Amino acid sequence: MLLQLNKVFKWYDSKAGRTFILRDVNFDVQEGEFISIMGPSGSGKSTLLHILGMMDEPSEGEYYFIEQPVHKIREKQRSELYKKYIGFVFQAYHLIDELTVYENIETPLLYHGMKSSERQSLVADILDRFHMVGKKDLFPSQLSGGQQQLVGIARAIITKPKLILADEPTGNLNSKQGEEIMDLFKQLNQEGVTIIQVTHSEKNAAYGSRIINLFDGRIEG
Amino acid sequence: MLRNYFKIAFRNLQKNKAFSFINILGLSVGMACCMLILLYVQNEISYDKHHTRAEDMYRVGTTFVTTDQTKNMPYTPAPMAFTLKADFPEVEQATRVFVPFNEDKAIFKLAENGKVSKSFYESKGYMADSTFFDLFSYKFIEGVPHTALNEPNSVVVSEEIAQKLFGNQSALNKIVHIASSNGNIDFKITGVFRPDKLSTIDGRFFMSLSSGEMGAYVRSARNFAFNNMFYTFIRLQPGSNPQALEKKLTAFINKYAGADMKAAGFKKKQFLEAVSDLHLKSEDNGQMAGKGSISYVYLLTSIAIFTLLIACINFMNLSTARSGKRAAEVGIRKVVGAEKAMLISQFLGESLLLSILGLVIASVLVFLFLPVFNQLASTSIHIEVSQHVFTFLGFIALAIITGLIAGSYPAFYLASFQPIKVLKGKFTNTLAAVNLRRGLVIFQFSISIILILASLVVWKQMNYLKDQSLGFKQAQQVVIPLRTKTTKSSYEALKTEIQKNSQVVSAAAAGSYPGIFSARDQNFYTDGKTGAESVNVKLNDVDYNFIETLGFKVISGRPFSKNFAADTNSRIVLNEKAVAAFGYTPENVIGKRLHFDWNNEVFDYEIIGVVKDFHYEGLQQSIGRFGFLLDRNQNYNYMVVNVNTSSMESMLQFMETQWKKFNPEEPFEYTFMDQDFQRNYDTEQRMGTIVSYFTFIAIFISCLGLYGLATFTAEQRIKEIGIRKVLGASITNIVQLLSKDFLKLVLIALLIAGPIAWYAMNEWLQKFAYRIEIQWWMFAIAGCMALLIAFLTVSFQAVKAALINPVKSLKTE
Ligand SMILES: Nc1ncnc2c1ncn2[C@@H]1O[C@H](COP(=O)(O)OP(=O)(O)O)[C@@H](O)[C@H]1O
Ligand SMILES: [Mg+2]
Repeated sequence: MLLQLNKVFKWYDSKAGRTFILRDVNFDVQEGEFISIMGPSGSGKSTLLHILGMMDEPSEGEYYFIEQPVHKIREKQRSELYKKYIGFVFQAYHLIDELTVYENIETPLLYHGMKSSERQSLVADILDRFHMVGKKDLFPSQLSGGQQQLVGIARAIITKPKLILADEPTGNLNSKQGEEIMDLFKQLNQEGVTIIQVTHSEKNAAYGSRIINLFDGRIEG
Repeated sequence: MLRNYFKIAFRNLQKNKAFSFINILGLSVGMACCMLILLYVQNEISYDKHHTRAEDMYRVGTTFVTTDQTKNMPYTPAPMAFTLKADFPEVEQATRVFVPFNEDKAIFKLAENGKVSKSFYESKGYMADSTFFDLFSYKFIEGVPHTALNEPNSVVVSEEIAQKLFGNQSALNKIVHIASSNGNIDFKITGVFRPDKLSTIDGRFFMSLSSGEMGAYVRSARNFAFNNMFYTFIRLQPGSNPQALEKKLTAFINKYAGADMKAAGFKKKQFLEAVSDLHLKSEDNGQMAGKGSISYVYLLTSIAIFTLLIACINFMNLSTARSGKRAAEVGIRKVVGAEKAMLISQFLGESLLLSILGLVIASVLVFLFLPVFNQLASTSIHIEVSQHVFTFLGFIALAIITGLIAGSYPAFYLASFQPIKVLKGKFTNTLAAVNLRRGLVIFQFSISIILILASLVVWKQMNYLKDQSLGFKQAQQVVIPLRTKTTKSSYEALKTEIQKNSQVVSAAAAGSYPGIFSARDQNFYTDGKTGAESVNVKLNDVDYNFIETLGFKVISGRPFSKNFAADTNSRIVLNEKAVAAFGYTPENVIGKRLHFDWNNEVFDYEIIGVVKDFHYEGLQQSIGRFGFLLDRNQNYNYMVVNVNTSSMESMLQFMETQWKKFNPEEPFEYTFMDQDFQRNYDTEQRMGTIVSYFTFIAIFISCLGLYGLATFTAEQRIKEIGIRKVLGASITNIVQLLSKDFLKLVLIALLIAGPIAWYAMNEWLQKFAYRIEIQWWMFAIAGCMALLIAFLTVSFQAVKAALINPVKSLKTE
């Protein structure tokens, strides 16, 4: 098993009282799965994804990631775990505007302390695979949305993570571009990478092996 | 990793041109100020550090204690130096220096084939013992230091004088005629030195102390109580304790001068001052090089640091204000695996890059503005790569420290962003950050306001000093120095000729005149008292109509007059302070007698007149006891001509023509009494000017920062402004909206700066016995100025924002 959520709750306290975002979420993911999370806006999909990505903590409940109790371990270990095994893809791409395509993809490797020659060959491989060699010196603003998302995915997978978390990765793209991205995910999944994506599109959700429906913070069905 | 950081830093600089411009300009100007001050401080502390074994060298000073006052002076009597050497084994070597009083220049004459071929005045001629160059290290380019002053009538001159005399030829062993009050003497040049190091003993030529009349006096001088007019320098054996020696000097002086001092009614104590401290720490260096001031060194250093701090604050404020833009980057970097420490070092790297860029520009600025600074501070600093290695290292350290100070807060602030918040787009500046930013703006403007107030107070005080009535007529008074025997003896004839001109009101002469240093004083006692009850009175030996020529107001009795033959001998005119000190009133003092004892003889003076108190020193000093004597030897140092002319030019030409009749071999030189008096305020005036320049710079950098913040605020609120305009807000409304917050900060700064400036400037004013009161309107002016400057800065951006077409700004959202 790759990860497991046990009785996870997430709430925010305010003057008006306690607002529950996630309620009693229980959820296992096996290695190699391709999961699509669906649900109306505000139902807690992003929150769930952030918890899985260790960027946010549950208010209550347990989270095991490859047998490690994420809810118990220290910040430092958690970021090690995260750095090593998880890649993130965003709806708004979130590339660094001041860096070129090449440099954006290279950035995670810098933080992994990799040597320059190794970095070069890894980035070159990925650029090659994504057919973006010609664009490596362009800045994000010079690319189309689909191309930017490709860079986002390239950046997420360059560290060879076990798990990719994607929050509406095609939300800002037209259907042709979206399809390309989904094909890419499919391909990555076949290579053994576990993928959890949030999507509003039934068609995209169908790429996955399992669909989870979130409604008002609860998993339905 | 580093390359990645630098790349991003550079691209950020390029992308945000206004922001980069403000920061780099501010930092480089701030750093340039610090660098200049660093050079200045280094220059100031370098004085007299270069002498071999400078750490063992001391000057012997004297504390005079009379019944009513204690006074420190750098002078000692002639026999002091070598008696010290003989009596105390720890005194390894001694030397005396004599600087003629009231004689700023001597005349150099070069004779060729029996004719005078060159003749010019030279200032800073010191007389010194043969041991002088044994103690003090001068760089000789000709001659041998240790033996140079062995013979009487030998002189060591500076390279510049040697060149004036002989061009590029060797000056060694040549004969030059030097005429001064010490006589007209043919000197042999035994050495030429290059003054490449700064020294308080700033002579331009050194004559053997055994030359001329002074030589004769020095050889015969045995008295330890009187004629305190020589500087005594000693070098101690390595490792000796100066404090221990100082303690023994009380017994020493009592042994040699006790009886004389008792009879004359004063006591003396000796003290030692380290030669390397003379420039900055001595309270009085007499006639030698103008003193530096340790407090001005501190003042300038703190202003420079504050200026740089203001620039650092700009960086902090603009970085954190703009952090919304950087927040996304921080979030992404964290998501792809960056740890906090890595981000901190990235942002610190950016500020370091900026400060190093600033250093480069600052170096150019220093290079460009060093001449201006030298002029302002009246220094002659020049940068030499070989001499300033440590200075350069200091500059680099300065840049690094600046980068760290400016960058640390933004680095920690930015690096602590939570990626989740940032990526959700929920980023807002925290209230703490906003408040800190406000606090820093208040701090910047407090400093600016303090500086404005300081400049204002200095300016007012200087004007006050200029406008103050001195108690005599200082305008239209031409002062002509009578430096040599020839000129002194031709005075009467010259006076007669000059007074023939109808535009000359009157002419007179004296030993000194108000506003210049004078050492002449005497301890007097009145009838029925003894020498032990003496009162010290400053004296001036004058010509008959000197009192009338300067327009001193006689309030009782009469001034000197040729109608009273006895005036030449033993008559005195006092000022009010002196009369009061002797316990009389101006009315009942006339006809009373003053006495002093000298060599077991009693001298008597009859008081014939009283003049109203007048300022004989700068207004730093309060008026003391003063008296005029007729100089029966007519040994005057200065002639004073009171003129009434609209054409000073032709008047001076007339005087020169007359002068040449009697002194064909001596150049005609003159000064104006009012300008000479103002010279007492040179240091303060200079500091005032420097402070006002720094004020300008500090305000400029503060405004740069404010401008940046205003730009940012306007950008941030562009949508709000658009909506308000659509709803009917006028441009004035918008400008008000955007300026109000900043102006509030400036007002708070005024409240903080006011008391601090008041306290500091009040302290400064204590230096002056006569001073202005700090008035509320000065605060009003400083406040209004700061507000106006801030308003202009902010409103420029506000108006720009208000003028933007709302349709445009709303569409960009
Ligand atoms: N920091 C927070 N404080 C309070 N409420 C929050 C916070 N973050 C998210 N929410 C709320 O949680 C709910 C779920 O948000 P999210 O997980 O982004 O939903 P989804 O991604 O399904 O649209 C929303 O109603 C949102 O307003
Ligand atoms: Mg969402």
